[in-house]
Amino acid sequence: MNEKIQREIFQYLKKNYIKNFVGVPDSTLKHFIDEGLKDKKILIANREEEAIGIGAGMTLAGSPTLMFMQNAGFANSISTITSLIQLYEIPLLFLIGWRGYLKNDAPEHEKIGQIQPHLLKNMDLENKILTNKTWKKNCDWALSKLKKNIPVALIIRREFLD
Amino acid sequence: MIRKEAIDIVCNYIKNDIIISANGFISRDVYSSLEKNTNFYMIGSMGLASSIALGIALKKPKRRIFVFDGDGNILMNLGSLVTIGTLHPKNLIHIIFDNKIHESTGGQPTQSKKINILKIAKATNYLTYSVNTKKSLENVLKKISKSKGPILIHVLIKKSNAKSSRVDISPKLIKNRFMNAINK
Repeated sequence: MNEKIQREIFQYLKKNYIKNFVGVPDSTLKHFIDEGLKDKKILIANREEEAIGIGAGMTLAGSPTLMFMQNAGFANSISTITSLIQLYEIPLLFLIGWRGYLKNDAPEHEKIGQIQPHLLKNMDLENKILTNKTWKKNCDWALSKLKKNIPVALIIRREFLD
Repeated sequence: MIRKEAIDIVCNYIKNDIIISANGFISRDVYSSLEKNTNFYMIGSMGLASSIALGIALKKPKRRIFVFDGDGNILMNLGSLVTIGTLHPKNLIHIIFDNKIHESTGGQPTQSKKINILKIAKATNYLTYSVNTKKSLENVLKKISKSKGPILIHVLIKKSNAKSSRVDISPKLIKNRFMNAINK
């Protein structure tokens, strides 16, 4: 996904409903995060689970929150998502950068990248992939779910190697 | 002083402030001591009570937020002290009930015996207090009423077999009534 669209996604979500952006940085999402940093709207936590705790608190205080993270950090947080976010039905929006989407990504991302769609499915966490063409429609889908108290995930695939 | 006695003292002082209580016996004690809509009882996600409290404290700067935490709990999420110390919410009061064991899972030791939680909190910009008697806990609670947070009270407690009954409200109801109460 190109830089311009990542920046547009940030501005679109900020303008439409989302008040806070909390997470752990990921290179796939770097332009999204950079746009938020320029806006002084980003809170960076030490670990993804900690970020989810902070985001849950903000949401409980009536302030809708997006969590940004890499799929590896998402996998670290599975138990937090099942025993806090899904159990209490706290409507958080996850934005996940998908490393290991390309078969020849770095070796540490291969296995976790392969199982990423299965993790989401097994957790019953509804999700959609954002692309240059579908991002607006899928962001609207996610916001409508949040307003119904359902936590959901949006995924951005890592489509380049470095 | 055992955990339930310490929790009774703090609950008696708190009255209407927001409480986030850690999973395990701590939430059960709070439920039996001071059940109210502005309590968020955790039943899972160990370690995250202080993170949840931080999120609320940032969004509700006029309310005081109390975290009821344990030594095993905070040792699972020490990074939380760093983030709280960085963002420095004035309205967050973090109480760690430290019995040096994982009491809820059968009394296995934690590592809080040989390290100094208070020093870690001090290094991360908290205003810190340590107490080991009922009287000193009551005195500190009176003293902090005009202090600016984040404040950490390290309460040294003895292990005990006493435990309160389970929180029998559904997680969804805990959340809904909590949100209604703090956002009205």
